Amino acid sequence: MNLARFSERIEGLKYLVDKMELTGSRVRRYLMRMPFSSDRDLLEGHFDILQKACEILSDQKVKPVLMQLEHLFSKIHDIQGTLTALKEKRILDEVELFEIKHFSIICADAAALCLQAGFVHENLYPLQEAFNMLDPDHTGTVSFYIYDSYSKSLAEARKQVASIDPGRDAGTWDRLQDIIQKEELAVREKLSLKLAVMYRALQENFDRIAWIEIWFAKARLALMYNMVRPETVPYDRPGVLSVVEMVNPAIADTLENAGEKFQPVSVTLNSEPCLLTGANMSGKTVVLKTLALIQALTQFSFFVPAQKASIPLVKDVFLVIGDKQDQYRGLSSFAAEMLDLDRIMANMAVGTKMLILADEPARTTNPAEGAAILCAFVEYLEKNGVMSLISTHYGDLGLSCRKLRVAGFQGSNVKGRLDPLRINRYMNYSLIEDKGGSVPLEALNIARLLGVDESFIDTAKKYLK
Amino acid sequence: MPFTDQIIRYGSLSVVGLGKNTGKTECLRYVMDRLYQRQKVVAVTSIGIDGEGVDRVTATPKPEIFLEKGMFFTTVASYYSKKRFRAEICEVLPNETVLGKMITARALERGKMILAGPADTLLLQNWVHQMPQEYPIDVCLVDGAISRLSPASPAVTESMILAVGAAYSLNMRTLAEKTRFVFDTVHLPLADISLRKKLENITRGIRGISAGGEITDPGVESALLPAGVRDVMDKCENRIYVPGAVSNALLKTLAERKEVERTELYIRDFSRIFAEPRVFYSFLRKGGRMFQLFKTRLLAVCVNPVSPEGYRLNSEELVDVIQKEVGVPVYDIKKMEG
Repeated sequence: MNLARFSERIEGLKYLVDKMELTGSRVRRYLMRMPFSSDRDLLEGHFDILQKACEILSDQKVKPVLMQLEHLFSKIHDIQGTLTALKEKRILDEVELFEIKHFSIICADAAALCLQAGFVHENLYPLQEAFNMLDPDHTGTVSFYIYDSYSKSLAEARKQVASIDPGRDAGTWDRLQDIIQKEELAVREKLSLKLAVMYRALQENFDRIAWIEIWFAKARLALMYNMVRPETVPYDRPGVLSVVEMVNPAIADTLENAGEKFQPVSVTLNSEPCLLTGANMSGKTVVLKTLALIQALTQFSFFVPAQKASIPLVKDVFLVIGDKQDQYRGLSSFAAEMLDLDRIMANMAVGTKMLILADEPARTTNPAEGAAILCAFVEYLEKNGVMSLISTHYGDLGLSCRKLRVAGFQGSNVKGRLDPLRINRYMNYSLIEDKGGSVPLEALNIARLLGVDESFIDTAKKYLK
Repeated sequence: MPFTDQIIRYGSLSVVGLGKNTGKTECLRYVMDRLYQRQKVVAVTSIGIDGEGVDRVTATPKPEIFLEKGMFFTTVASYYSKKRFRAEICEVLPNETVLGKMITARALERGKMILAGPADTLLLQNWVHQMPQEYPIDVCLVDGAISRLSPASPAVTESMILAVGAAYSLNMRTLAEKTRFVFDTVHLPLADISLRKKLENITRGIRGISAGGEITDPGVESALLPAGVRDVMDKCENRIYVPGAVSNALLKTLAERKEVERTELYIRDFSRIFAEPRVFYSFLRKGGRMFQLFKTRLLAVCVNPVSPEGYRLNSEELVDVIQKEVGVPVYDIKKMEG
């Protein structure tokens, strides 16, 4: 599972990826192909690199060096086609040879700049040999052609053809042109063969130079959103997920544009299911989405938007937001959700270590059966010790599992109609341990504050038992 | 010829033909020769699709251009590899085209080359701006196109030469009228600088411009349907900006408005006008006004009195007839060469 697939599944991930300043589709390709990793050593290694990149970015002294490096990144072209040709030992054409020469010079410059900036990861191989091969006259320039000095007979034929007028002596001109073509081909073949030996170094550099850019883009993102390095708990050990003061960047940005602030939320989860209750609009879904985001960010070697985070590594993250209709496959939102739950169950059966975040499962069917489905799901999660957070509006389910409740609405001081974007002024989003089994009945109260017709609300109250 | 000085002063030129075989290539060749004699370093490219335009699709060859030693040129790699002279590759352009990689190279000796360069306005604009910054270039030349087939506008160059030929029509009147039309569209007044700044980055949809100069988006995607245009005009206080094609339908709709005399149409540049001359003039006659965001200077009109079938119009008469219609010098391309 790579980042491209994950960013379709986890909301907010794509938002952050799009915020990264990358020079083009070449680098984005590397980023999006990055695998979801549960290898702790690998991730910690990556976090070391990222931390170093953050330190470098924060150092005003190296700013000019970084600007040069960025400029250099923008000059790198996608030469993967040329590298593949080299790998397959094809004969390169003049343009491809130029690309190798150009790339060799860029690598030398990039290596020097990285060293100057103090970035010692993703080391680039020196490609001086390749450059020298493509600069036989030692001019040091980046431009390229099949130089006369590559072949005596080529130089000779070129000299001759220059003195011939093709209009007068077409025969000789054509014959000499044929010789030139043949000689140029021979030179290209020889060069291609020699360069093919250096294929590995060229390809490695091409990959690494993209990674250097990605590390700095990730570091810039981390600084932009005040992200921290997460502590990881090894995959094979049970651990406690604990996130202090987490923020959802996409939502925080929307709020900020409206002049509001995102209230950070802290949460801990054990290897067991936990129910999450709270009034409508109390941010339950945001908690689930942000947790999923933080888990995914960690395992794709990003820093995370929180004050502090301890993240047990998992094999997969499931974010089940029951509003996913799949009309193309003829599925209603209920059916799509049931199939999601079934996939989770199948993963449980084979013992996959997962983080499950489910938003009001089975809410789109009748409450009696819906509650039954929810209870069964929680029972399965409990039996298998799966770290999970499940939001619900169903009360008094008789489940013994841990429960969290959003502290909730402090709406007594609301005057007049409430703007949905301003609701956070009256909402306390913190999560508190809940011992009881009931859920808050605030739906009608909130509907009223949103300005829904009073008489309609009164009518609804009649039906409340 | 006098316009060589002007070309050098303006630094960039596009040569645009009224249709195929109108002498555009000869004209370009002439300009390149003159600049070479004046020891100016030239960069040349082509925006590909023009009269013989199918080449982008079928890859049939376009006329070759003689490059002198030291000239820079931008073309696609597949044409470059067919060259029969020495040239050094200086750069591979970052954007790949339908024909493959595009490169900039420098001729190390005289030789023939087929050119097919940047195919959209933004890329062409970058090319015209970047080339003199990266290489010691005095003049950028663009083998232009004036046809609805070309997505790239020649208006990004500072100056322009229009090539008109017997190949377009053997009727001198028709030639003169069409030339006059192009002349008039090129000379549409420039929009106010503050409006130009606000509008230049908007390249799609339609925008309204309020009396106070505020830009409003009426949310209409295309100016091709009369109903949409009427709708927009009702909302937009008589001034609209249409970055895309200016069609017959658009101008007719505007000309039929009661407030036509207070109607102002802002367009990107003359090359976006696809309306017929009679519709264009009808709109202006009724009191409508048009402004453009980018304006190029038309330096001269070059006529080619010989059609590909061998018909020859009277050169002096043709020059005379066209000269009466336009306020820039008119030359016979064949005589210029000789």
